[in-house]
Amino acid sequence: MADHHITLSGEVRARIAELGSVDILVGIPSFNSARTIGHVVRAVEAGLSKYFPGSRSLLVNSDGGSTDGTMDVVRQSGADFDSILLSPQDGRFHKLVTPYSGIPGKGSAFRAVFEIARELGVKACAVVDSDLRSITPEWMELLVKPALEEGYDYVSPYYLRHKYDGTITNSIVYPLTRALYGKRIRQPIGGDFGFSGRLASFYLGKDVWETDVARFGIDIWMTTTAVANGFKVCQAFLGAKIHDAKDPGADLSAMLHQVVSSVVGLMEEYPGVWRDVAGSEPVPTYGFAYSVGLEPIHVNLDKMLEKYRMGVTDLAVLYQSFLPPDLLAFLKSLADEPRDRFVFPDKEWVRTIFRFALACRRKVMSREHIIKSLTPLYLGKVASFVIETWDSTAEDVEQRLEELCLAFEREKPYLVERWERKARASVKPRRST
Amino acid sequence: MKSFIAKVVTEPLQGLFQKAAEYLPTVLTGLVVFLLGLLLAWVVKLFVVRIIRLLKLEGAFLRSGVTDALQKMAVKDTPAKLIGRMFYWLVVVIFFILSLSVMKIPVIDELLGRFLLYLPNIFVALVIMAIGVFLGNFLGRAALIASVNAGIRLSGLLSKGARTVILLFAAVMALEQLGIARSTVVATFTIVFGGIVLALALAFGLGGRGLAAEFLEKRFKKEGTGPGEDKEDELQHL
Repeated sequence: MADHHITLSGEVRARIAELGSVDILVGIPSFNSARTIGHVVRAVEAGLSKYFPGSRSLLVNSDGGSTDGTMDVVRQSGADFDSILLSPQDGRFHKLVTPYSGIPGKGSAFRAVFEIARELGVKACAVVDSDLRSITPEWMELLVKPALEEGYDYVSPYYLRHKYDGTITNSIVYPLTRALYGKRIRQPIGGDFGFSGRLASFYLGKDVWETDVARFGIDIWMTTTAVANGFKVCQAFLGAKIHDAKDPGADLSAMLHQVVSSVVGLMEEYPGVWRDVAGSEPVPTYGFAYSVGLEPIHVNLDKMLEKYRMGVTDLAVLYQSFLPPDLLAFLKSLADEPRDRFVFPDKEWVRTIFRFALACRRKVMSREHIIKSLTPLYLGKVASFVIETWDSTAEDVEQRLEELCLAFEREKPYLVERWERKARASVKPRRST
Repeated sequence: MKSFIAKVVTEPLQGLFQKAAEYLPTVLTGLVVFLLGLLLAWVVKLFVVRIIRLLKLEGAFLRSGVTDALQKMAVKDTPAKLIGRMFYWLVVVIFFILSLSVMKIPVIDELLGRFLLYLPNIFVALVIMAIGVFLGNFLGRAALIASVNAGIRLSGLLSKGARTVILLFAAVMALEQLGIARSTVVATFTIVFGGIVLALALAFGLGGRGLAAEFLEKRFKKEGTGPGEDKEDELQHL
């Protein structure tokens, strides 16, 4: 396996030499998170002290060049042990604050974390976002313990989220990765993960650090790489995920492009793994499940529908080069429906996603153009979902998502037989369980 | 009478036949060279088309929009066949001039020299146009997708505008390279392009004052947005 080193600064290397080795490493990627990162640092320190008092642990803040004093906040923040009735770890908890190098993005920040983890020979790692408001010390136990003590290599988060929160996850990434790889990992791009030191070294050996993986694509890449390479995977129930809006002005089509592009890139990397998988199986889930109240979210349905209609009309010239005529006709007819009759059926949605993946695979045009042109259709699906589930409870919505996932699993042969026509004879779906 | 006929008819005819007999081998050589050129042109065409297919460039032409652009211009050939055909005619023209050169006519020799000197300009102009078509299609498509995603209503017009400007720009550069009406083309382009920009500036400046004011107000006075107004989504997509 190729090994791709990055150059850690001399200061970091000196700190690593000083530390020698640690058992647990927790990474926090950040960029201008001074407002929120202090809470995350305190939760991590308290969690490590409470649940792993005998282990040497290190908190690494991998920063992307913040100008708001994020790194200073990390250096100065510390858990208030008196208020949580704990004693501080006696010289066992350390901090390392460093700017990362490479393409600006979460992936590059993680790369520095993996590198430090390998140099220190850590047994278990976790990474958590710097904008979390709902993180508690218990998250450390839930993300780290399965890797440290239960033999798992990858711990994916399981959150309670508002029914309209994480719509790319719900309508594309979760159902698609579940249908492809046969594992029901509910939040494959959750952002907060636990993993073994062995897996961190494995990640580091992959040559992806100059691609979209280095940006938004890192989360799905970590999950898929762990699953596709046979690492032992579980989920941890973390409760609610409440965090600052990433960037209210962030371009939706850019996010969609980076995430979906990573998913398709992984499909191209692991066709031998996903092609023969049929159905899906649950993965073990740790943590005490409970329900929480979540803040309501405002959804501008009219705007979404308007963008869908505009997209179907104006982008039809592009769609006709990779969508079959019947599907395109359906999309056009849906654009004429009024709001109360606007229903984007699962089967058509699944086939749309598969057709976009196939268009990327066949390189009918630039991948960025293909995926960005999915944006209006995605908004149409989200609008349809919102209309359908307006009065539904969180449980009902989860059930509705389960139906969507099953539609992806049912329709998978449609993708498989078109993915590599030459390989058609060898396609024999089998159950993953 | 006999001497008159010999002087007026026979001698000139003899001279003509003699000159024709002297010149005939040269003409035949020229003809053979031209026929060889036709044969070679046919081989070159096949070879070029085969190479394009071997390198799988047809897919690249399709992706870059070259195939589409040709179809829109009512060109029935695929890009591979078109390039093959271009090479065919290039070889035919070269061999035609060579065959004339073999006949040792001074005017033709001069023409040949000029043509060979001009040939690189044609090649560069073709490359410029090919890049222009590729860039025009790519950026036109990018503009279309970006404007649709931004909810801009005239996205089709924007896309076509971007594409046309780039194609125009490439055409002007190609014509300049070929030395065709150099100053006229550049002046026309400058006037037309400047005119478009001025027209757009005036249109947006005068017609879009209200829109700009509304945009700035929304941008800097978000707090005042009322419940019935057009609120942004709070969806977290990731």
